[in-house]
Amino acid sequence: MKAEAQALKGHLDVLLLAALEPGPRHGYAVKEALREGSGGRFDLPTGTVYPALHRLEAAGLISGTWSHTDGRRRRTYELTEAGQRKLAGDRVNWHEFAAAVTTLLDRQPWPATG
Amino acid sequence: MAGHRLIDAAVTDLARHLPADAVDELADGLTETYLQHLSTGLDPDAAARAAIAEFGEPHVVIAAFVRQSPGRRAAQALVASGPAVGGCWAVAMVTGHAWNWPVPAPVRLALGLGFLAVVSALALAATARHSYRRTRITGAAGLGLMTLDAVVVVGAALLSLTVTWPLAIATAASLTRLILTARVVPRLLTG
Repeated sequence: MKAEAQALKGHLDVLLLAALEPGPRHGYAVKEALREGSGGRFDLPTGTVYPALHRLEAAGLISGTWSHTDGRRRRTYELTEAGQRKLAGDRVNWHEFAAAVTTLLDRQPWPATG
Repeated sequence: MAGHRLIDAAVTDLARHLPADAVDELADGLTETYLQHLSTGLDPDAAARAAIAEFGEPHVVIAAFVRQSPGRRAAQALVASGPAVGGCWAVAMVTGHAWNWPVPAPVRLALGLGFLAVVSALALAATARHSYRRTRITGAAGLGLMTLDAVVVVGAALLSLTVTWPLAIATAASLTRLILTARVVPRLLTG
């Protein structure tokens, strides 16, 4: 099942940062890493990943460099130190949030009130 | 170009609306997507159609770029901060009886028209949805806003007979906005 783009809203930045954690990637490779890493669940329109990468670059969380591949200009991105710190912080926050939600959802049915 | 007319047409469409660097990057991604589909055994036409479907139609990609463009985001921030800064100046001028300041009518008119032009330009950029070009107005509008802030701050300092708390707050608000705007305007003008 593919996730709606709307469902990713608010999480896209940290997912893009996580996709770049193993090492530098160009836009299409980032999108593929998201798709493969989520078992096909996060299959975004490729073209919409690029403006998000540009926004992260403008924020100083990733940096891009140009190269040439098969006669085409290619921009490859990697995490900056600020991006690594942001990813680490967001990861901790997410684990705490997910643990709290899991605890609530796995509880026995709550007693009725009133 | 990728060598398929559908891919080339999509890149040409993107090039009409987006900056050259972004188009080069998108062309690389679209070509990569096309080659990926070709490698699965699709014929070139089917691979090109599948690539565009996976990549997103040009208008979808352009809208995504416009939504996240630095010009649009900066314009939205400036429009949002406008009422607060303007409110500070309104209070400062009322309490300081600014209508008695010896400012020639042509200067008042020029300031008023300049203010309207800047606000209109920022509103256009902040509400852009499909035109990247519109978001680029923010650079020039930001310069105009910095000029207006500087003129008002200097003018008020020279013309006000006494320093009041409202005037000090309004001046601080304008200077803060001026400094923050100066940090983003160069990137907007060269980007």
